[in-house]
Amino acid sequence: MLYRTAGQFKTSYEADFALFPVRQDALLLGVILLFAWLIFPLTASDFAFQTLLIPVLIYSLASLGLNLLTGYAGQLSLGTAAFMGVGAYACYKITTIFPGINLLVALALAGFFPAAIGIVFGLPSLRIKGFYLAIATLAAQFFLVWLFEKWAWLYNYNTSGAIQVPNIRMFGVYVAGPQAASITQYYFVLFVVCLITWFSINITRGRIGRIWKAVRDMDIAAELVGINLMRAKLSAFAISSYVAGVSGALFVFLWRGAAEPNLFDVQLSFRILFIAIIGGLGSILGNFLGAILIVALPVVLNWIPGLFGFSIESAVLQHINTMIIGALIIFFLIVEPLGLARLWGIAREKLILWPFPH
Amino acid sequence: MRLFGKFALVGAAMAVSTALAIPASLAEDSLYLPNLAYRTGPFAATGIPLMDGQRDYIAMLNARDGGLNGVKLNYDECETGYNTEKGVECYEKTKDKALVTQPWSTGITLQVLPKSNVDKIPILAPGYGFSPMAEGKIFQWAFNPPASYWDGASMILKYISGGNLDSLKGKKIVLLHLDAPYGKEPIPLFEDMAKKHGFTFLAIPVGVKEMQNQSAQWLQIRREKPDYVLMWGWGAMNAGAASEAVKTHFPMDHFIGIWWSGHDGDMKTVGEGGKGYKSISWSVPVSDAPVMQDIKKYVLDAKVNTIGEGEFDWVFYQRGVLISMFLTEGIKTAQEHFNAKVITPEQLRWGLENLNFDEARIKALGADGMIAPFKTTCADHAGHAGGWILQWDGSKFVKASDLLTADRDAIVPLEQAKAKEYAEANKPWPTNDECKM
Repeated sequence: MLYRTAGQFKTSYEADFALFPVRQDALLLGVILLFAWLIFPLTASDFAFQTLLIPVLIYSLASLGLNLLTGYAGQLSLGTAAFMGVGAYACYKITTIFPGINLLVALALAGFFPAAIGIVFGLPSLRIKGFYLAIATLAAQFFLVWLFEKWAWLYNYNTSGAIQVPNIRMFGVYVAGPQAASITQYYFVLFVVCLITWFSINITRGRIGRIWKAVRDMDIAAELVGINLMRAKLSAFAISSYVAGVSGALFVFLWRGAAEPNLFDVQLSFRILFIAIIGGLGSILGNFLGAILIVALPVVLNWIPGLFGFSIESAVLQHINTMIIGALIIFFLIVEPLGLARLWGIAREKLILWPFPH
Repeated sequence: MRLFGKFALVGAAMAVSTALAIPASLAEDSLYLPNLAYRTGPFAATGIPLMDGQRDYIAMLNARDGGLNGVKLNYDECETGYNTEKGVECYEKTKDKALVTQPWSTGITLQVLPKSNVDKIPILAPGYGFSPMAEGKIFQWAFNPPASYWDGASMILKYISGGNLDSLKGKKIVLLHLDAPYGKEPIPLFEDMAKKHGFTFLAIPVGVKEMQNQSAQWLQIRREKPDYVLMWGWGAMNAGAASEAVKTHFPMDHFIGIWWSGHDGDMKTVGEGGKGYKSISWSVPVSDAPVMQDIKKYVLDAKVNTIGEGEFDWVFYQRGVLISMFLTEGIKTAQEHFNAKVITPEQLRWGLENLNFDEARIKALGADGMIAPFKTTCADHAGHAGGWILQWDGSKFVKASDLLTADRDAIVPLEQAKAKEYAEANKPWPTNDECKM
């Protein structure tokens, strides 16, 4: 009923090509965007901005970067956090070498460094696949984090070895650094995330996306129909690392405010891989659903006992929290191994066929 | 099913009754003191005794005196697992009503330090954090009493040189440190001192991932044959280093750690083999001090809280007690000065800037012999108390030196330079110009 597609006729090719051919999908997206752009910012507290909204968006973006590579092009990577780190350090160097640079420009430029490094570490993908490739990207992970520690130039010879985000202004308003208000940071992140998401939806639907999917599904067949494997795989590495790098720069500049090399450790890579897998590989929506489950849910769970007036010792609560999240991950993967996005896809399918779902 | 129904009913009744009980307790005046604790995660073993000590001192004040000047202290832990991300979550969660931030990790301190000027909540990081934080005119909201890492480094140098640093000429000193902001803290001071006094200084980093397996580092130490090995270690690194030192037959009494590397739990793993190991410390465990006996009586024997066996005598447990004491003394000073019972974070800042732990005060607090006297001002947020060398005798740490004090003349210029550098990099950074000291 809610999702009845009967009567929605496509009378032109443009209408058929539209991003959201089903009217209800477009409506739903509109509602979500309305919430993201208006209702959340108007109602959220500082706490909600800093622990729910901003991190969910940034983690979604990082996972989107990984998903382009792993979900669409089929190249398994365990080095996302390191590419994020390259983005963050590049942005740091750019903003300190050229103070007064527009932060959006700095972010856009910073993405090219991880993209280049992604191509270098993507070279083994021409020879190896699957788990073997994962090991090669793991090498990138360890090497780059080691480099962040040892190369003092990267952190401007700071004694603590950590990078601190300076106060950065855009159009007279602080957008990064301690002086920035949460709401400005949120809008900045939201803008970048929306832009890259829109770009990614289009790229995955178009020629490049189809090439990637062909390589993912069977690379020999793809080669036989005339796809240049090298170009396909390396472009996936480049674009994925670019997105991951931008998310890393956002991670440090618009959210954390400071970063030590250990932040970009392999744990972060795994966390992002979990988001991508639980959300659904090969989907854009899945990244957001996965990030909500992995990043936002633990924060919300911490609040529940307080709402009911129970006081549980904080350490115990943390243990319970970890167990609940673990159980939920297993539950969702058993119910739908293809991730939350697929779960939503099934629900939508049923809604379209309602009242006679099968 | 009926049984389940009953449980649900009882549960609901409990929920309702506790929900009703809450407003009553909120109505009472109280001071909210959050602590970003870590009782889970890789550093839990060192965190638990410290947090227990902090918690129990405040519980004791509530039980013995009914809080501070009649105001109950509401001590609340927020679990971080030593994870920076969780730490920021905790900070955001508590900042609306928090009187103080106790970040408990150098990483979290680095995150909240720049925000302190905006949120105006004092950061209390006793004996850790960023050494230049002692420069109170620049770091208006950060406090690291009673001594900074650079003070600790200077005390150790003074101890090994017998008071005359020039006697170290030609000697070789190795710093085994955690490869993280915390471990790198003392390097600028050591480098400076090495230049000035003509000893060779070598820093050997231990990555967070190699904490438990330091064979490569100790091989290097064996090759270098240093006269002294100093250690800035934390968590599993301490026990790892101690067992490697025993294995390589390094003379234990030439192996000296900072105060966070003097944990009974870590040394217990090597036991007798670690005999002779030293650690500088600004706190000394005195289990029969009146304050400790009060904690025993009002908190532990009364079963308000429980702690592990033997933990009561540990250096870290009693250091936790002292850390809470800094905070409550800051509150008390502010209460008296502003003639208010419930104080604001701004007022607490004044209190922490005017801490006066003189002999008489320490005695009145019942902590005689546990800590050296010190005093903070608006320009000096650390106080720079002295410390003692504690030595491991195979089963516990015992005091093994007279009071050592840091060579402040050598540290101050460096402190000021680094503080200025920080303020410069984080422009616009407000400084305290009212302070005329």
